[in-house]
Amino acid sequence: MNLVIRVTLLFALASLIVFLIGGVISFRVMMREVNDEQRHFLNERMDRVTRMIERRKPTDTLRMNKLVVVPLENLTEERKSFRDTLVIHAQLERLEPHLKLDAIKNVEGRSYQVVMYDVIIEPDDIRDGLEESLVKIYLILLGAVVVVGFIVSTYMLRPFNQTLQAIKKFSIKDQDSKISFPKTGIAEFKRLNFFLEEMTEKVKSDYQSLKEFSENASHELQTPIAIIQGKLEVMMDSNKLDEEQINQISSAQHTLNRLKNLSTSLSILTRIENKEFDKVSALDFSSEVEKMLNEFKELIELKSITLTTEIEPGVSVEMDDVLCELLLTNLINNAIRHNWEDGTIHISLTKEALEVVNSGPDLEGDPNELFQRFKKSNQSSSSLGLGLAIVQKICDLYSCRLEYSQANKQHRMKVGLNP
Amino acid sequence: MKLLLVEDQVELAKSIQNYFMKEGDVCEYANSFGAASEKLHGYQYDVLVLDIMLPDGNGLELLEVVKQNWPQMGVVIISAKNALDDKLKGLDLGADDYLPKPFHLAELNARTKAVFRRRLQKGENSLSLNEIKIDLDSHEVFVHDQLLDLTRKEFELLHYFFVNQRRLLTKQAIAEHLWGDYMDTADSFDFVYQHIKNLRKKIIKAGGNDYLDTVYGVGYKVKSS
Repeated sequence: MNLVIRVTLLFALASLIVFLIGGVISFRVMMREVNDEQRHFLNERMDRVTRMIERRKPTDTLRMNKLVVVPLENLTEERKSFRDTLVIHAQLERLEPHLKLDAIKNVEGRSYQVVMYDVIIEPDDIRDGLEESLVKIYLILLGAVVVVGFIVSTYMLRPFNQTLQAIKKFSIKDQDSKISFPKTGIAEFKRLNFFLEEMTEKVKSDYQSLKEFSENASHELQTPIAIIQGKLEVMMDSNKLDEEQINQISSAQHTLNRLKNLSTSLSILTRIENKEFDKVSALDFSSEVEKMLNEFKELIELKSITLTTEIEPGVSVEMDDVLCELLLTNLINNAIRHNWEDGTIHISLTKEALEVVNSGPDLEGDPNELFQRFKKSNQSSSSLGLGLAIVQKICDLYSCRLEYSQANKQHRMKVGLNP
Repeated sequence: MKLLLVEDQVELAKSIQNYFMKEGDVCEYANSFGAASEKLHGYQYDVLVLDIMLPDGNGLELLEVVKQNWPQMGVVIISAKNALDDKLKGLDLGADDYLPKPFHLAELNARTKAVFRRRLQKGENSLSLNEIKIDLDSHEVFVHDQLLDLTRKEFELLHYFFVNQRRLLTKQAIAEHLWGDYMDTADSFDFVYQHIKNLRKKIIKAGGNDYLDTVYGVGYKVKSS
């Protein structure tokens, strides 16, 4: 439900309550006024009756239209009181509430009881009239609210909707185009647009500096590593070294190599997160898998692993080719590394999923943590624990489901395709 | 081989220069775009080893200049910046090879030699060590003129040794040469050992000498005699 409809409904509900309370108040006020008027009217009539008594000095009970005058035997103190009563209405022929004046009046040494009643407007009629007019006003109001709501949503909210459209088109990677919002005279929207403009610029520049940082970090790390590696190699070539020294240099080279892989992998992860691999094209996944298995053929054979495949030809995926290669490399590498000598790897590819099943020792630790960075089943192993994190990132990027399960020392990695 | 090294990192440049000079190559060095242009205009080089990130310009622009003026010059790009994009751009612009930093000097040497040979050597394209001869065009190896049946990796391995004679090649450098990024170094050493064992066996069986020396379990070296 959109904002305007919501506000309209709320307003309709609130005004209904106001109209109900207002109706009651108006009814009361009008009744009070009518009552006052009736008393006034009866009082005036009383004066006329008094003058009539003075003139005619009745001795018997006098009954006239809505008036009874009864001469009393004894002189009684004068009094006057108003009361409500029900009387049969002459025209309507039903009981109607009337105002009744009951008084004792002394005229020239004699007491008369005077009773008279009348009604100017029946409360029923007042209520009916009020109801009718209030309902009509309410309906007109509703109509007006709907019209105003329509105007608000089409005209006044137009800049807001345009702003939404502009945000929709906003791309964090598009550094050249500045997001532009429509001009508006409404202060709130002006503030909103101003704020959004500031924010998108900030986001863009933050993204840019993050991107630059990851690029620079990769470059700035690679260069010193390259220098150290070069120095170590030159040093190693010297003929004056003994075994101990050569071993020391070699071990320094190993560590340096890990550092190199670490910086490469981290920069790949950052670049995937930054969505820098965006040359998405339809790839023949079946032949990519075959090609990659061919690259690894020797390594698989050298570890005496039996490889079985079940690859459906012509499976196509929409992916960046570099990421596709990274995905397969890491999956296959993982299946080889966490395998036994004389183990098995089974790879099956269908239109729905790529499955890599390999034998290997039980996983230590939580399988859910498997895809997190720097998580490895064996903390002392020389692997970085970034391979599966990269696999996970690539799957996230293309909304592929990545599942892992193990049973009977068989580990199954399943990548859902074509979500 | 006469090569020009364009690299702004002096320390890395020194190591590379040192490595090539030991090979008997002439390796001149320029640390900037400007210095490189000057040298290119003044002298003749066989191969240009080019870093893309230079303090006063982009190496890719220099590459364009080189390809326009000296199309016969071989170019090997060495770069750490945004490896994959630059690789494509560089190769598009006519570079012969691309090597991301950090690299093994032996690898750079092998690639540069390959480029040099491809571009400038006419006639027979082969390397030999006494009775062993490698034909680089047909990827065949002969021992006493007798064809040796080698796998692709074994051929690459032997080629790597031949290009880097008199050098100590660590198992790590060999593994990276053979498998590139696909390989995890920790697992790879056994594989390197296996390959070398097979290679030795095949050469000896064909009547060749074993020229591969094992150096303290760290790596291997080609004996010259």
